[in-house]
Amino acid sequence: MRNDGDMTDPDCKQQAAPPRLRSVVRAMIWATVPVLLLVQLLASAGVEASSFWSQIRQLDARIARVAESRAELIAEPLWKMRYDQVTSVLNEIMHDETIAAAAVYDDTGTAIARVVARSAGQAVAEISRPINYSNGNMAVQAGRIAIAYSHAALYADTGSRLVLLLVVGLFATFATLIAMRISANIFIGRPLAAMMSAIQRSKQDGRAYPADVKSSNEFGQLAHAFNAMQHTTSGALDRLGHMAAHDPLTGLPNRRSLSEHLVTLSHDAGSPDALIAFCFIDLDDFKGINDTFGHDAGDKFLVHISDRLRGAVEPQDWVARLGGDEFVVIRPEVSNEETAQRFARQLLDTISEPIRLHDKQVVPRASIGLAVRRAGDPELSHLPALADIALYHAKTKAPGTVAVLDEALQRDYRRRRDLELAIPAGFAERQFEVWYQSQVDLESHDVVGLEALIRWRHPERGLIGPGEFLPLIERSGNNGRLTRYVLTDACRALQHLAAAGRPHIRIAINLPPSELADHSLAAELRATCARFDVAASLLELEITEGSLINNMASASETLHRLRRLGATIALDDFGTGYSSLAHLRRFPLDKVKIDKAFISEIPDSAEDKAIVGVIASLAGTLGLTLVAEGIERAEQAKAMREMGVRLGQGFLYHRPQPLEAVLLWLEGQPAHGSRVLEDSPSIAPEFAV
Amino acid sequence: MLADAGPVSEPMRMAKRMTVFLRILLAVGMACGGLAPMRGAVAADAKRLNVVFVNPGKTGEVYWDMVSQTMQAAGRKLGAHVEVLSSERNYRTMQELGFGVVARSDKPDFLILSNEESAAVPILEAAEAAGVRTLLLSNTLIGDDAARLGPPRQKLKTWLGDITTDLQTAGARMANALIGAARAEKWQSRDGKIHILGIGGDEITPTSIARNAGLKRAVEAAPDVVVDRMLFANWTQSEAEHVTTNYLSWAARKEIRPAGIWAGNDPMALGALKAIAAAGIAPGQDIQVVGLNWSEDALREIKAGRMLLTDGGHFLLGGWSIVLLRDYADGCDFAAASPHVEVKTSAITRDNLAAVGDLIKTRAFDRIDFARFRAKAGHCGQYDFSIDALISSLPLPEGAAD
Repeated sequence: MRNDGDMTDPDCKQQAAPPRLRSVVRAMIWATVPVLLLVQLLASAGVEASSFWSQIRQLDARIARVAESRAELIAEPLWKMRYDQVTSVLNEIMHDETIAAAAVYDDTGTAIARVVARSAGQAVAEISRPINYSNGNMAVQAGRIAIAYSHAALYADTGSRLVLLLVVGLFATFATLIAMRISANIFIGRPLAAMMSAIQRSKQDGRAYPADVKSSNEFGQLAHAFNAMQHTTSGALDRLGHMAAHDPLTGLPNRRSLSEHLVTLSHDAGSPDALIAFCFIDLDDFKGINDTFGHDAGDKFLVHISDRLRGAVEPQDWVARLGGDEFVVIRPEVSNEETAQRFARQLLDTISEPIRLHDKQVVPRASIGLAVRRAGDPELSHLPALADIALYHAKTKAPGTVAVLDEALQRDYRRRRDLELAIPAGFAERQFEVWYQSQVDLESHDVVGLEALIRWRHPERGLIGPGEFLPLIERSGNNGRLTRYVLTDACRALQHLAAAGRPHIRIAINLPPSELADHSLAAELRATCARFDVAASLLELEITEGSLINNMASASETLHRLRRLGATIALDDFGTGYSSLAHLRRFPLDKVKIDKAFISEIPDSAEDKAIVGVIASLAGTLGLTLVAEGIERAEQAKAMREMGVRLGQGFLYHRPQPLEAVLLWLEGQPAHGSRVLEDSPSIAPEFAV
Repeated sequence: MLADAGPVSEPMRMAKRMTVFLRILLAVGMACGGLAPMRGAVAADAKRLNVVFVNPGKTGEVYWDMVSQTMQAAGRKLGAHVEVLSSERNYRTMQELGFGVVARSDKPDFLILSNEESAAVPILEAAEAAGVRTLLLSNTLIGDDAARLGPPRQKLKTWLGDITTDLQTAGARMANALIGAARAEKWQSRDGKIHILGIGGDEITPTSIARNAGLKRAVEAAPDVVVDRMLFANWTQSEAEHVTTNYLSWAARKEIRPAGIWAGNDPMALGALKAIAAAGIAPGQDIQVVGLNWSEDALREIKAGRMLLTDGGHFLLGGWSIVLLRDYADGCDFAAASPHVEVKTSAITRDNLAAVGDLIKTRAFDRIDFARFRAKAGHCGQYDFSIDALISSLPLPEGAAD
């Protein structure tokens, strides 16, 4: 067996502290063989001992018989004084090796004959018998015979037999050991090894292998049970595998299957030039359905969609649900991109059939990103990413349509990707620039504040607008860093403004939604203001409605803290989102910035004018200052003024510029800073963060 | 007899040398006898008898040679031709010789056999068939044969009878002589008893058993006598010497005074004498020894006073058998008394040694006048084969010498 060594070397055995594999066969042998040997030796020793005593008794009896028979033989020659005959008869008994000496005495007690064995050893026993002579007329005791004999031969015999028994016992034990090892290997070791091997193989590739054991004994039964278990396990593994590769809700293959399927796709393709259409489907506003109808209905909705997709495709097509509201449909062979587009639109149409949820008619909408690639394309595994690019485009540019991945999209994608990768360098090399656009009093045209706007001066691509890179910043998790970057710049700008004699101009900073959830923001803001020795009340934080909705409690808390520091809060892009009027009341707002979408058609659009008018009257009621964004023309400014909007912002007044340019520009503007301060809400700064 | 045929080495050789000398002497004597007128009762017209004797012994065996010699000497005296065939101690040869005699065309008048080892029985039966008369000498039928065939002349008509010696009486006579001598010398031991050692030849043969029985009979009759041991020396001198030595040593340890040694034959008596001498005891003075056989050596010891007596004379059965057959042939059947003729032996002591010693020594059996022993008319079957009769039958030594 494999650990022979540690049996012979006790040190090695002691050192083997970690539990080593001890063969059951070996353990059995070590448990049985010593007992067997001991019992065998004890038994044979016992038998031998009893045999020894019986032999002693037999020897005594035999010598007594010898003495008696010799006495009979000797009686006559002794009586008849044929002493030579007596001696020769006595001599005959010396053939018996146990007899050490013998003597015959006559009736006078004189030794008539005496014989001593050549090797006169230690005589331990002596026996004496009378010699009776009788003939027809008389019976006399003619003398007696004495025999001294030794048990030594018996001891030696017994000793040698014991040695023989020991040797035989050892041999028997050895043979038993061999037999046990062989039979145990056959009956125990082999089935165990077979099962172990099955387990090892199963461990290697996750499949359940049966153990090849044919015997009908307990191990056969065990193996049978093991195989049954393996079978069960196999089924469970299959189910597990299926579960791992499939979406439990819809039963469609999941994201994991997708990558595997992509691998097989290229192999299974008829030719490397066959075109593969990859449709990346994303349901529009699935969150709204979940919110409106509940998650059970949302699940039901997804199942409906998946059933429709299954029904809409050909047998060779492949449908998967990647998670949430994302589906993938792959058609392995399309004749050209047109066909693929038609197919994608077909899918859209299928999806868009109305569904009844809670007795309400719901029309599902989806966007599809379509990517078509040759089967031989080495970048086939990138198909999901490529389709995702198209989908991204569709979602952002034209929800509810099919976007086909083309060179432009790919270029966009690559650009976005490159930009994303360049973000860390952008921070490190201070490529981000903060530009400032003035907010003016629509009445006095005084500059009352500046909005800090981020720009990226990319070393290769030049100046990049925030619309392009802010989503990338957000996606790469750099929102906080950028906010602090802007905050720092704004504080520095405030210093410069103060130095330039414009200490009343405030600077507004856009806070991304994620920052509202960051409790440390208020503390950092205070620390930064302290560092640049500027008043927090000169900072204005612009938030969007969306960021409020996502986390109302947390946002409300952060806003209160900021406000306690003295900063003012402005609601940006008002009118574009949910524009819940309740928000205006619930959150600590100071300003509302009307989105430029409502401004651009003014004064021509009566509707927009009505909306702005309502907003203005509402703000007036709630005591909120209104800011009109995107004022480009004088009549827009005039209309705003007429509707009671205090402040304006736009190209009509000032295009965003770097600080230096703004400072220069400000030199040409009259300074009436005191009014701004008067208009600001009279909220005492609290330093309670 | 086996006993008397025992190897007697030294005296035997002497005897042989003497025999050569005696034969010359015998031839001279025969010539004289032929010239001298026949004395005795054999009539010239009496029928000459043809007798064949199948001798069981070996040539040179003293006893059987002497039996043949007395037989032939008697034949010469009584008109019988005695043919002696020697079996050379081989009973098969003996039987073949006997059958050969019976089958002869010229059948003998009488066939004398000795039933040693019961080997003569088939010959007896063959002789019965052939009509040859038979006489058993020294050894008669015993045991099953005796029971089966019955007494002589009944089932076997031609079996005339047998002539044997009374050895039991001889044994008793020897013992009594020993006891008498011990009593006279007061050789009792401390226990007041006379202690005797018996040395027998063997325990099997009838002749030995008879002698030993004689000893026993005599001792049983003497309450003051104890036979310490009856030892057996296989008829030989050396073994007798050996056992005697052992006995004497034992007796010394037992503080017994050995008074006498009874030996079944002369050689054993001589062996005992040797042992006695070796033990430092004076035979004839401190202890008496008796033997049987009339051997020359015994006679010499008797003469020297070291031995009390030797019994015997049974070799004369050879001569006595011819006497019986002569009488039978002449119409005086010994069976008138009994078909079993038992001859008493006789002791040679210092007293009668002079008379017979020379006869034995010289084997001059022709000196015996066998005719004198024939039955008297009207007294068939009545014989006197005693030593006194023998002595009186011998011519005076002076006369012979002259």
